[in-house]
Amino acid sequence: MKNSHGTNAALTGLSFLFSALAAAFLLNLWGRPVPPEPIPPADPVFTNTATARVSGAELIRTGGDASGLDCYACHDKSKPVQLHFDEHKKLVLPEEHQDLVMGHGRHNRNNNCFNCHDEANLELLQTRDGRELKLVESTPLCGSCHGPTYRDWEAGAHGRPSGYWNQKLGPVKREDCVSCHDPHSPAFPSRAPAPGPHPLHPAARAASGSEGGH
Amino acid sequence: MSDPNGNSTGTADSRAMNRRSFLRTSAVLTTGMAALAASLAPLMELDDFTSAERFMQKYYKELTPGEMARVLKRIEGEVERQYGIRPHVRDLKPMDGVEFVYALNLTRCIGCRKCVHACVAENNQSRNPEIQYIRVLKMPHGSIDVEKAQHNYAPESVPEKGFFYMPVQCQQCKNPPCVKVCPVHATWQESDGITVIDYDWCIGCRYCAAACPYWARHFNFTKPTIPKDKVNPDMAYLGNRPRRQGVMEKCHFCIQRTRAGRYPACLEVCPTGARKFGNILDPNSEVSYILRTKRVFIQLKEELGTSPRFFYYFDV
Repeated sequence: MKNSHGTNAALTGLSFLFSALAAAFLLNLWGRPVPPEPIPPADPVFTNTATARVSGAELIRTGGDASGLDCYACHDKSKPVQLHFDEHKKLVLPEEHQDLVMGHGRHNRNNNCFNCHDEANLELLQTRDGRELKLVESTPLCGSCHGPTYRDWEAGAHGRPSGYWNQKLGPVKREDCVSCHDPHSPAFPSRAPAPGPHPLHPAARAASGSEGGH
Repeated sequence: MSDPNGNSTGTADSRAMNRRSFLRTSAVLTTGMAALAASLAPLMELDDFTSAERFMQKYYKELTPGEMARVLKRIEGEVERQYGIRPHVRDLKPMDGVEFVYALNLTRCIGCRKCVHACVAENNQSRNPEIQYIRVLKMPHGSIDVEKAQHNYAPESVPEKGFFYMPVQCQQCKNPPCVKVCPVHATWQESDGITVIDYDWCIGCRYCAAACPYWARHFNFTKPTIPKDKVNPDMAYLGNRPRRQGVMEKCHFCIQRTRAGRYPACLEVCPTGARKFGNILDPNSEVSYILRTKRVFIQLKEELGTSPRFFYYFDV
C-alpha cells in the first residue's frame, strides 16, 4: 500500500517537474538563444579594392574612353595657349576646363598650367629641370617637387600596393601618384565611413551611436 | 472475496493492477515521458555537436602529414555540408627567414573602416552577431589616449577635423600574454611571428581574451552566421576556416594569404595606403625601409612589455 503510493507520488512529481521544464523551455524562461536582430550586410563598396580614382594614364592603359585627354581635338597646334588671370592673379579657367578643381598647393601658389604641362606640346608634361614626360609617366614629374614622398614611394612605403609581398611567389602592383591623387587637387578627399560595429546586445545596439567608450 | 477476514482482498487489490490504477499510471507515465522529451528538446539544436572524428583528433603539432590531410578533408566536408560550397583548406607552414611585421601610418589613416569589412569578408567572420578583428579608434589630436577613444563614430564623412584614427587589431606580440594563459596550448606563436589558434583544440575558457591588452580576441558566444554566398573558399587550418560556437578567434595576419606570399586583405583595401606589411628580416622590404627611415613609432601599450610586431608611425 505504502510502496504503491510512494511510486505514484514520485511519478506524479516527476511528470510535474518535466511538464514544468517543458513549459519553461517553450516559454524560454532562461534564455534559449533568441534569433538576433538582423544586421544589414556591408555595402560591397567597402570591400572594393579599387584605387581612390581612375587616372587618365589608367584609362589609356586599359583602353577606356580617354577622348578627354586628346588636347589637339580642340587646341590648335600652331596657336600657343594664352592663360588668363583675374585681378587677384588667380587663373581663370576657360569654359571647356570648368570640370578641373584647381587645388594644388596652398595660397594659390601653383597657379599656372605650364608648371606641369608643356606649353610647346600639350600632350606632354614638363618638369622644372626641363625633362619632357608622356602623360602616362607623370610620377617622376610629381617626384620633381615632392622628393621625400617620391623616395618613400620608390621604396614602397608610400602608396597602396596589391598582389604579393614576396616577389618570388608572384607580382606586386604599385600604383602611380595619379591613381589616388587628382593632380589638379591632390589632397585626399574625405569620404563616407563604413558602418561601425553593432553591439551584441540588442539594447546596447539601440543605444549605440554617438556614445564613446571601447 | 469470500475471505471472512477480508484481509487478502485488500492486499491483492493494492498489489495487482486494476483498471483504474493502470489508467492512472499509464497517463502519468505518458505525460511524464512527453514532458521529458519536450524538456530535452533544446539538445536537438546542437546539430553542430562535435563529431567522433573531431573529438578524437590529435593536437595540431602532433599530427603527421597523413593525418593532417585527413583532417583537412574532414573540414572541407563539414564546410560543404554547412555552406554548400567546396572550399580549399590548406595547412600553410611558416616560411624560413620570414618574420612578419605590420606598420600603420597614422598620418594617412582617415578612419573609413574599409579594412574592417574587407577583413570580415576575407576571414569568414560571423556577420550576425558581428565579429570584427579590427577596431578603428577615433581619438582627439594631441595624444594617444585610448580612454578618450570612440569606436562607433558615424559622421557623414571622414576624416573629422581635430581627430585622428587608429585601427587596432591583433598586435602579434613577441611576448604574447594570451599564449601564456592558455591552459591547453590551443594558441601559440609560430616562427614567422603569427600567434595562431587551433579552433579544434580551443576549449572556450576565454582566458586569452582576458589577458590580451588590445581587445584583439573575439569569442563566438553564439553560433556564427555567414551568408552562403559570402563564404571565402580559400581557407587555412590556422586561419579563416569557419569557426564553431564556443571558440576564440582573432586576426592572424591573413595566414591563408600571407603565407602564400600575398598581402593581407586589410592592406589591399586601404584607399590611402596607410597599411604596410612585409618581412622584417628582408632589408629591402617596405617595413624594413619604414622602420629604418621613419622616426616616430608607437607600439601600443608599449609599457606592458608585450613587444608588438605592429608599429604605428607618422610621416616625419
